Amino acid sequence: MRRPAAPGAALMLVATLACTEKLTAPVNCPELCPGESLIVRDTVLLPLVGMDSSYTGYLAANEVPALLVSDGLAAGEARAFADFPKRSDSISVDGLQYAYTIDSVAIGFGLLARDSMVPGLRLLLRRITPGTDTTATFEAVDSAFRQGALVDSILVADTLKTGTVRLVLKGDTLSRLDPAEADSGRIGLAVGVRASAPTGVRLASLLDPTRRPTMITYVHVPTPDTTRRKQTITATANNANYVIAGPPPPGADVLALGGRSGTRSLIRFAVPAALRDSASVLRATLELTPAAPILGLPNDPGTLQFRGLLADLGPKSVVLAGVAGSLAVPAGAIGVQSADVRSIVSTWFTPNPPPSVIFIGLFPEGGSFARAEFQSSRAASDGPRLRVTYALPSRPGHP
Amino acid sequence: MTPACRGLLLLLLVAGPAAAQSSEFGVRGLGIPLRPLSVRARATGGALGLFDSESGFNPAAIGLVGSVTASFQTVQGWRRSQTPAGVASVQDNRFPGIYVSGPIGGTRLALALSASGYTDRNFELASRDTLLLRGEEVEVFDTLVSHGGVSDLRAAVAWRQSSTVQWGVALHMLTGSNRITSHRAFSDTLYAGATERFTLSYLGFGGSAGVMARVGSRLTLAGMVRVDDRLTVERDSSPVGKTRLPLTLSGGVRVQLLDRLLIAGSGVYRTWSVADSELVAQGGIGSTNTFELNGGLEYIPDPKRPNRRPLRLGVYHASLPFPLERGSDVSETGISLGTGFRFVADRAGLDLAVERVWRSAGAGFTERATLLTLGISIRP
Repeated sequence: MRRPAAPGAALMLVATLACTEKLTAPVNCPELCPGESLIVRDTVLLPLVGMDSSYTGYLAANEVPALLVSDGLAAGEARAFADFPKRSDSISVDGLQYAYTIDSVAIGFGLLARDSMVPGLRLLLRRITPGTDTTATFEAVDSAFRQGALVDSILVADTLKTGTVRLVLKGDTLSRLDPAEADSGRIGLAVGVRASAPTGVRLASLLDPTRRPTMITYVHVPTPDTTRRKQTITATANNANYVIAGPPPPGADVLALGGRSGTRSLIRFAVPAALRDSASVLRATLELTPAAPILGLPNDPGTLQFRGLLADLGPKSVVLAGVAGSLAVPAGAIGVQSADVRSIVSTWFTPNPPPSVIFIGLFPEGGSFARAEFQSSRAASDGPRLRVTYALPSRPGHP
Repeated sequence: MTPACRGLLLLLLVAGPAAAQSSEFGVRGLGIPLRPLSVRARATGGALGLFDSESGFNPAAIGLVGSVTASFQTVQGWRRSQTPAGVASVQDNRFPGIYVSGPIGGTRLALALSASGYTDRNFELASRDTLLLRGEEVEVFDTLVSHGGVSDLRAAVAWRQSSTVQWGVALHMLTGSNRITSHRAFSDTLYAGATERFTLSYLGFGGSAGVMARVGSRLTLAGMVRVDDRLTVERDSSPVGKTRLPLTLSGGVRVQLLDRLLIAGSGVYRTWSVADSELVAQGGIGSTNTFELNGGLEYIPDPKRPNRRPLRLGVYHASLPFPLERGSDVSETGISLGTGFRFVADRAGLDLAVERVWRSAGAGFTERATLLTLGISIRP
């Protein structure tokens, strides 16, 4: 008869207890610690004087991500316009073409942003001659808007911040959308805005496939099948854009961001070689001082986007993927804007560092009222500053 | 060489750096000196270390081995460490040694190869501090982790002059590393944590010689001397310095008091103060000479089957070489208890030892540890 294996039991006991590690013990340093911990220091890097610049023209006129409409806004007076294609004279139901009778027409816009603190917001829709293109000036569109026949206005609920707003015409008011013979059946609309105070809105552009301007025609079709008599004809705008009369172009001694065609800025720094070789970046903060109050739509801040560069080619520099920082800039801000750019600056402290340059843009580029102007390195004071907190190795663990 | 011997030799060669007994007392100098003892010797407080063929201490002790034997150990430790900064309960597991020995056929010689821990420098220290950054006080949390230590690779040859006298010599290669990681984290999440890592590596050589002689039928005496050269220290392959290693002198006595009872005692003296000035030059606190005294017994319930569940008891007291603060004394005292089993016709065995260790230094540093050591031996 075999006896219980005591050795095996002991082995299992130890195996159960084994591989259990919990090593940390509290200590007072430096009494027990063999050497000091990482050395932490702060420094301020200033940009290379005269090497920071602003560049514009990054966005084609038909690439705007939003349609801006405003009334009395300091950031700029803006009007939007949209053309809808000619509506067919007949509709196909179950394979047969039928003439139809219009019951109503709904025109919808996607509201992306508004100043929710301004009540009584209305979108004004006026007929203008279709065919307004991207070369149109603000004066031309605004003049057409003022002279155009009012289709109607859309009262935007004060509680609505984003979503679809619609104007529905029926009965006698349908005639306001009758296409003119000279317009080949197309319908042109200009959009303005009114509220209890100067304000603006951002509407979805043609780049937004789900919220772009849409005209839905509800029709009655004389089919034998009574369940098929109500039909809709949906048309999305084939042309929509906006014009804006913004503030004058900034001077050459400021770093500008924003604008309809996209303005970006580039700031170059020199990193001390002693730090580049051994430091580890713990925190990096870019401080920008506004040259003037930040312009924009209140309660709809633009976002400064900071990127590192793979290659410094001036305005056509190649940005580093995944190396970025961001900072929301509210309208009216006048204080120093501080952005965390550690992910960018830490790449400068690597064995094969990319250019020590920060490339700044403003999101949504071409689709925001936000416009920022910051003091550049050419300014007598308050130019960009990069505050870097870094760690140096201390080689602890001595015997 | 038989296939079994070749396998055991391969096992010995691929064994990683040995280590044991992580402790806050292993922070200074080269760490905590380790005792290259078998589980049997450990259970007797180290008293049988000079006489035990499975210990890597006295090369003469292998002179009487009659068959090839391989053994290795694992140690699970539970410690409660107290420092002026607080108290921590710490656990760790180590594999402190592997031994292979056997007679050289047709001669009076025996050969042993072993890998054991020389010093252990495994520790994790945590502390907190406050820094003034950008005009604000920021709390920081530091951890310093060291893994590794110095291992002692030994090749020993013993000559059996007679059935009562054996001589032995051994060559030692001291090698190993400390993988050190220092991390600083911030309470303010705007600051990223920072880490630095590097490796301290060690290399040195030494030699030892020993004798074991039976006087009469019940008394056995043993002695050992060991000399080590300077230990070369490099940080990431860059020279840091050299550290003198101590001369080790040890002597012991073993008495077969009764058929069932064996008692033993020994002392070990190491001149660690020779490393003092070089450790200080490398930024350390320094080192002092150490002395260890131990005594123990082994009681065999059945003299006809001496390997069946012997009872082992031991006690030791030792000073440690690396003070936590300059001028302070560091010491440890331990008591131990153990037993063993043999099975598969005595071809395999398990030995077990439980130790309770107290360590103390000035300025509020104390430590209590319970160490459970399991040894497995094979005689193919």
